This record gives sequence, C-alpha cells and structure tokens, in this order.
Amino acid sequence: MRFLKEYSFLWFLIFLAIVIPFIRNAFVLHLLIMVFTSVSLGLAWNIVGGYAGQLSFGHAAFYGIGGYTSTLLFVKLGVSPWFGMFAGGVLALGASLVLGIPCFRLRGTYFTLSTIAFAEVLRILAVYFRDLTGGSIGIVLQFTEGFGNFMFRNREPYTFIALGFMATCYYLCLWIENSRLGYYLTAIKENEDGARALGIDTYRTKLIALMISAFLTALVGSFFAQYLTFIEPESEFSLGLSIAITLPVMIGGIGTAMGPVIGAFIITPLQELLRIYISGEQQGLQNIIYGIVLVVVVICIPQGIYQWVKGGFSQKG
Amino acid sequence: MLMIIGQSLISGILMGGIYALVSIGLTLIFGVMNVVNFAHGEFLMLAMYLTFWMFHIFQIDPYLSLLIVTPALFLLGTLTQRYLIQHLIEAGHYTQIFATVGISTIMANAALFFWKADYRMVKTPYMSATLPLGDMVVSYPRLISFLVAIAITLLLFLFLKHTYLGRAIRATAQDHIGAKLMGVNIHRVYIFTFGLGSACVGVAGALLMPTYYAFPTVGLHFVLIAFVVVVLGGMGNVTGALFGGLIIGVVEAFSGFFISPQLKEAVYFVIFVLVLLFKPAGLFGLTKG
Repeated sequence: MRFLKEYSFLWFLIFLAIVIPFIRNAFVLHLLIMVFTSVSLGLAWNIVGGYAGQLSFGHAAFYGIGGYTSTLLFVKLGVSPWFGMFAGGVLALGASLVLGIPCFRLRGTYFTLSTIAFAEVLRILAVYFRDLTGGSIGIVLQFTEGFGNFMFRNREPYTFIALGFMATCYYLCLWIENSRLGYYLTAIKENEDGARALGIDTYRTKLIALMISAFLTALVGSFFAQYLTFIEPESEFSLGLSIAITLPVMIGGIGTAMGPVIGAFIITPLQELLRIYISGEQQGLQNIIYGIVLVVVVICIPQGIYQWVKGGFSQKG
Repeated sequence: MLMIIGQSLISGILMGGIYALVSIGLTLIFGVMNVVNFAHGEFLMLAMYLTFWMFHIFQIDPYLSLLIVTPALFLLGTLTQRYLIQHLIEAGHYTQIFATVGISTIMANAALFFWKADYRMVKTPYMSATLPLGDMVVSYPRLISFLVAIAITLLLFLFLKHTYLGRAIRATAQDHIGAKLMGVNIHRVYIFTFGLGSACVGVAGALLMPTYYAFPTVGLHFVLIAFVVVVLGGMGNVTGALFGGLIIGVVEAFSGFFISPQLKEAVYFVIFVLVLLFKPAGLFGLTKG
C-alpha cells in the first residue's frame, strides 16, 4: 500500500516533467510554479508544525533569510544565486538554532507566540537597515539572463526547478515519516513528557526538525526571490506569509506528506485565478474567499482533505 | 531632558491604558478557554470602523458610541464562540487557532474590500486639545480615553471578583472539569467570556478613535502588542495584563525616543522573548493552574 502511494507520486512527477515542455502558456507555467513552491513550503513547515506538532507562525523568517541572503550576495558581491541559495539555507539553519535553542523550552502557545516575535523582529530590522536592505522599498534584481545568474527568459526552467524542490521536499518528508526521527517527532506531538520518559531527547529532536525545515524554507525563499526578481520586508517576513505557508497544510491534512500536496493543488490555483479575475478595484475579495475556505475546511473536515478522502475510501472498502 | 523623560512617561502610560484593555480581553479568553484568539485585533479594527462610521454618518461622538460599539462587539464575540469555536472544542488546539486565523483573514480583507485601504479619522473639536502640566502637555482626549479604560478595567475586576458569573468564570479558568462538577454551565461561561473579551476591544476601539486612525490592518499592530503584554503579565492573568499594558506603553514611548521610532517594536519583541525565556509564567508570578 505504501509503495503504491510512493510510486503514484513518482508517476505524477514524471507526468508533470513530460507535460511541462509542451506548455506554451506563460500563465499556466506561473500557476505551476506557485503550486510547486507552496507545496514545498508546506512540506517544509510540516516537519516542525505537523509531525512534531510545534505550531510555528514564524516560518517567514527563514523564507526571508533565504530571499535576502541570495539577493544581497548577488547584488552587492556578484555571487551567483546558486551559491547564495545555499548560503541562505545555512544562515537560516543558524537562525533556526537562535530561535530553537531558547524557544523549544517553551510549549504550545508560548512557542507559537515566540516564533511570531522572531519573524517580526527580522521584519523590523529589514526595514530599519535600509542601507543594506533597501528598507521598505526593497531590492529589485536587474534582469540579466544566464544560468549562473539564475535568471531565465521563459518560465520553463523555473518550473523545472520548482518541480525539483517539490520532489525533494516530498521524498524527504516521506523518508522522515518512516524513519526513527519521524517516529520521535510523532511521539513528541502525541505526548512530549511521555516521549521523554521513553528516553527520547525531545529538545534535540525538535531542534533537528526545525533545522531541516528552516533550511528547506530558505532555499525556496531564495528561489522565489530569483523568480520574482524583487524582494521587500513585507512580502518576505510578514506574519501574513507565515500563515499563508501553513494554509495548504491545514487544508490538505496536517502531519502527512500528501496533505500539503493536495492542499496546495486545490488552494493555490484558486487563489491565483481569483487574483486574475478579481482585478485591483475589488482588492481583498480573493483573500476573503481564501479565509472562508479555511474556516469551512476547519469546521467540516478538521483532519484535512487527505485524511477525509482516505477515511471515506477505507470505510467503503 | 527631564521634561522629555516626563513627557515620554505620560504619553506611554496613557497609551498603555488602551494596550491594557485590549490585552485583558485577549488574556481573559485565553485564561478561560486556552485559545489564543488571532482575530482579536480584527475585532478591534471592526470596533474602530464602527466608531468611525457612526461619527461619519450620524455625527455620534466617539465617546458616546461606546454605548453601541461595546454591546455590538460583545454580541460578535458570543456568536463567534457559540457558532464556531464551540464546535471545535473536541477537534483540538490547532483547529481552534486556525479557525480564528480564518476569521481574522476574512475580516481584515472584508474591511479592505468594503472600506478600502484609506486611513479613516474622526475629526472632533477636542482632538488636539491639551492640558498643560508644568513644562509638559497632556493630550486631552488621550487622558479621557486612559481614564475610561482604567475605569472599565476596574469594573471588570469587581465583576470577576464579586459576582456569581465572575466567580464562575474564574472557576472555569482554574479547572473547567471541577467547575462543571460544581454545577457551572461551562459552555455558557465560554460564550459569555468570549463576549466579554471582545467587548473589551469594543471599548478600546471607541476610545482609540479620537486620537488614532482606522485602516484594515490596524488590528495586526495591536494584536501583536497584546501578545507581548499578555505574556508579560502571564497568560490568563488579568491583573498582569493591566500592568503589562502600562509597562509596554512606557517601554514603547521611551524606546521610540531614545533608540529609534522604527525600532520600538523590535525592543518590545526582544523583551517579550526574554520574558518567555526567563519568566514564562509572566513578570507577576502566578498564572492560572
């Protein structure tokens, strides 16, 4: 059964890889990029928020560190974003320790609030040090095509890179799910004191989960900064972004590798299409619908769409 | 120099009164239900807009509109609890938090959609009136808002301390199963508490309007401060939230002057994290349980 699931996702990836070169429509490619990145972010968040049950509303911090590191290295020092991306990942890994070492002593809501504070401080600093970061105005990346610059004239390469991110995150999550680390994390989510009593170093385990999660989130942040060629504090570090990262997971199903995939494939195209069809005059409407979807899902199927569908089938079978 | 310190102290304390009231609403709901209401800021935003529109359309003075806005927000809070959060009590902590996140998204964007991103202000004849105090000046509407906020807070204390319903709320906060065994209808207490917590931001919204402006995301600014205050005072601790609010008001005024107006938020967030780390029960010791 599990192998079937693994292979079905692999077939799905192969299908996408074959189809993408034939897509000529720039908007469809943009849509796919958006979906793949939200899946990747959701999966990365899920490692801490889902498997370990440590609700983080501060993942924008890692995303922003990724975006700012690669962009600043490229703009100020001319370092290729391919390296900048991993530099951002490593920096986010360090930041995850700055957040995790003190704050994983806190539990539940206290931890959640401290993650919000962490991202907010970074946002404020990004606005404040305007000589470095361009302040609230942000930084625009000059478009100069080239593989080394991580800039491409059409969207196809971006789509493939995003697909690669999604595949990596998915299989990493699947591996975690079935590894010792995954079982530890689940134990922590179910009962932290119980897990400790059984000899699990819960503090260290949570830290490892956060480090992996932060690293992946930062890579996606760098990628997306390159894709948009523009960053500013509000879109990189805001609480709104942190919450947006969690929504596909919440809608699809928390604590599963498939949940964020399903959630993002449903909610992200919906949001992008609404953004197109509801033009500037009626700003806010697409997010109202987004909020309504969230509330309805939370009330009707709190376990998420994936578990709900799976439960429905196994009941019939 | 002394004058600047005094002036910062005064304006900090006056603003702190409002922060205290917003935070008391949040901490009350958290203390009783163990739910952080992420839509608390948007409730405040709604209260501010209600005050604005009542002034704009009917020329009702912001201080007078307290009498309408407060019950309206009370009602909104009870409805939220009765028809939304109540259903999710069994479903677990995550779902409750995300339900309030959903409400907050809907409300903030509905405000953007219907009322646009413009900053709305109430222009009263007394808006820039000041009270001279030696070398310093005290903003008259801010002083009134502060006094009303403190009066409401004291009333709330008396209510919690001396009425049956107040005792039932405190009992439920301490141990909801115990309270239930003693014959308290805890579902009703939940509904009432959510209403009461929301009524607090109803009052705060009306009190803010004479000196502040309403815009769709105004709630975020205040709810972030309320998180800090609530942790500072100890989560669920109403007295703690009062002093926490005043402290953060003063810290904000001082760091805005002595460090940088742009960094004042960073300063109280750093304080927030330090408190979480070294005194997670809050500066004032005992939290509930």
